[in-house]
Amino acid sequence: MPTIPFEVFRGSPGQTRFDTFSLDIPEHTPILTALLKIRDEIDPTLTLRYSCRQAICGSCAMRINGKSRLACLTPVGPEFRARGKLRIEPMANQPVLRDLVVDQGPFWQRYHSIRPYLVPDPQHPLPVGKESPMTPEQVAQFQETPRCIACASCYSACPAIASDGDFLGPMALAKLFRFVVDPRDGAFHERLLGVQNQSLWLCLRCNLCVESCPKDVRPAERIHDLKWMANQELGALERGSRHAIKFASNIREGGLLNEMKLARETLGLVGMLGQIPKGIELARHGKSIRKHPPIQGREELDAIYRELDRPEDLQHRPRVPGQGVKGPTQQPSKAGGAA
Amino acid sequence: MKVAYYPGCVAQESGKELDMATRAVASRLGLELVDFPTFSCCGSGFVDESNLTLNVAINARNLAIAERAGLSTVMTVCSTCQGMLKLAGQVLATTPTIRSRVDATLRGIGYTYSGSATPKHFLQIIVEDLGGAEALRSKVRRPLRGLKVAAFYGCHLLRPHDRMQFDDPEDPHTFEDVIRALGAEPVDYRGRVMCCGFPIQFVKPATAERIAGAQILDAQQHGADAMATPCPLCHISLDTYQREAGRQVGHQLNMPVFHFPQLVGLALGLDPGTLGLARHLVSTQGALAKLGAVAVPA
Repeated sequence: MPTIPFEVFRGSPGQTRFDTFSLDIPEHTPILTALLKIRDEIDPTLTLRYSCRQAICGSCAMRINGKSRLACLTPVGPEFRARGKLRIEPMANQPVLRDLVVDQGPFWQRYHSIRPYLVPDPQHPLPVGKESPMTPEQVAQFQETPRCIACASCYSACPAIASDGDFLGPMALAKLFRFVVDPRDGAFHERLLGVQNQSLWLCLRCNLCVESCPKDVRPAERIHDLKWMANQELGALERGSRHAIKFASNIREGGLLNEMKLARETLGLVGMLGQIPKGIELARHGKSIRKHPPIQGREELDAIYRELDRPEDLQHRPRVPGQGVKGPTQQPSKAGGAA
Repeated sequence: MKVAYYPGCVAQESGKELDMATRAVASRLGLELVDFPTFSCCGSGFVDESNLTLNVAINARNLAIAERAGLSTVMTVCSTCQGMLKLAGQVLATTPTIRSRVDATLRGIGYTYSGSATPKHFLQIIVEDLGGAEALRSKVRRPLRGLKVAAFYGCHLLRPHDRMQFDDPEDPHTFEDVIRALGAEPVDYRGRVMCCGFPIQFVKPATAERIAGAQILDAQQHGADAMATPCPLCHISLDTYQREAGRQVGHQLNMPVFHFPQLVGLALGLDPGTLGLARHLVSTQGALAKLGAVAVPA
């Protein structure tokens, strides 16, 4: 049982410091238990949020050696061994109130902004006093998101949130996805249109939210699903979707990316004017962006496009695998091979 | 070791210095690169946003080209290419509905995908197949002594971990191991696993640049003399757009950014011209002067 040093962020805005507390505790001790021991036995002023201690309430998210984690779910040992210390900080991307407690207001505002409830279709009202049955396949479409406990670990880990207040963040968008695919919801287009104004397209696909989520909701992949649906349903509405759609047609032509053409198609002619100084600067360093000669076997690529460049079926939407491996669409078929 | 070399689009044009350094370093390490003029773009994380099946098929063809030549490794030099090739392999292994459509399409053009060729980034090949950091250390001719280097991994090399199966997705160490083997000192900073902002450079440049600026500033504040990245897209954000990134975070930045093979090449004794160091927008002179390396001809 080694002595484990905890470097804990303390204070409130304007007066912050790290206090070091050393504890002799078994390596399997959850970090939350260790922090409560510090509070109970060493410094009763240590302030933190917690409740259930078993990864249900989502209250004790914080940064542990830089990673956004639930303190109740993270044992002391592996993190201590990897880094030789335990640096405990409040979640990022939210104002600190005191010690490890942050103001979660902005996180909840974003959540509420997506209307996290069923919005019935006035043309097809849900039956009153009766259940609205769904098929197992329909339920499987949103099997991951109901597991979310709103702990905000993903929000804390997100570099887009850190740099742009317009971004809705991983949790709110994953929740939005859950309602977009719910067959009982009547606001499909409205919901997709509502996040076109760049808020959906600011996701960087860095997948930090996927790694930090304690419930394997895999928010980045749900956002990927949303982008895919927006592209299929709404087409090239604005820059983000235009970039994705034009990218596909771009490489069909020569096999490799024609960067100039893509920039022109995504940014438009006016947007391209703004790129001229950078283009000159690049050329000065020998980095001019010329068109690649076409690859050999370009006709093979063309044959792939002829076969597969058509809308994918929304109801049987292909999923980027991950947790979806457990879902019905990802299991090996009973025939033991290709369907 | 013989590998299929998948340079990706950037290393073949605007980031040619990456291709130059890769070839020179591979030759020094006894790694034989086989070129395939038939390889296409990986889709760069955009094509799958509009059509996943199509993107998977494009990369199944790329992997099948290497398989047909009897090669079991496809070497990438870009975190995003690596991510997209691995995505294709994962989808094909776990999604029978897509697998059957892709198989049929490939059959039509005379290819078979079996999954026998594994995509691996150059960094991964050095640590997993060429004897690791220790073997590399024995080849160092010009130790990068005194140089503090901030590794910048590039998201898709690491995450999601169940797809990439390489290093720790949030607290990796392989790049730092290599930096130590080269005689330099790695910088410990959180930005090393963050995003460079590149994916939204065209969607919202100011935000993309603010994200890049935050990571460069983080490296600078932790004492870095230079950054190094295994991803040419990160290099565009960190080097090509560094001035704009500095403007967004309110600091004048002057951080040389090496491509991963360039850093290895310097330590192996290759000259800066061979490694294409003059092709960067932010001069690498300061870092080279610290090493006593030959100045890059202007």
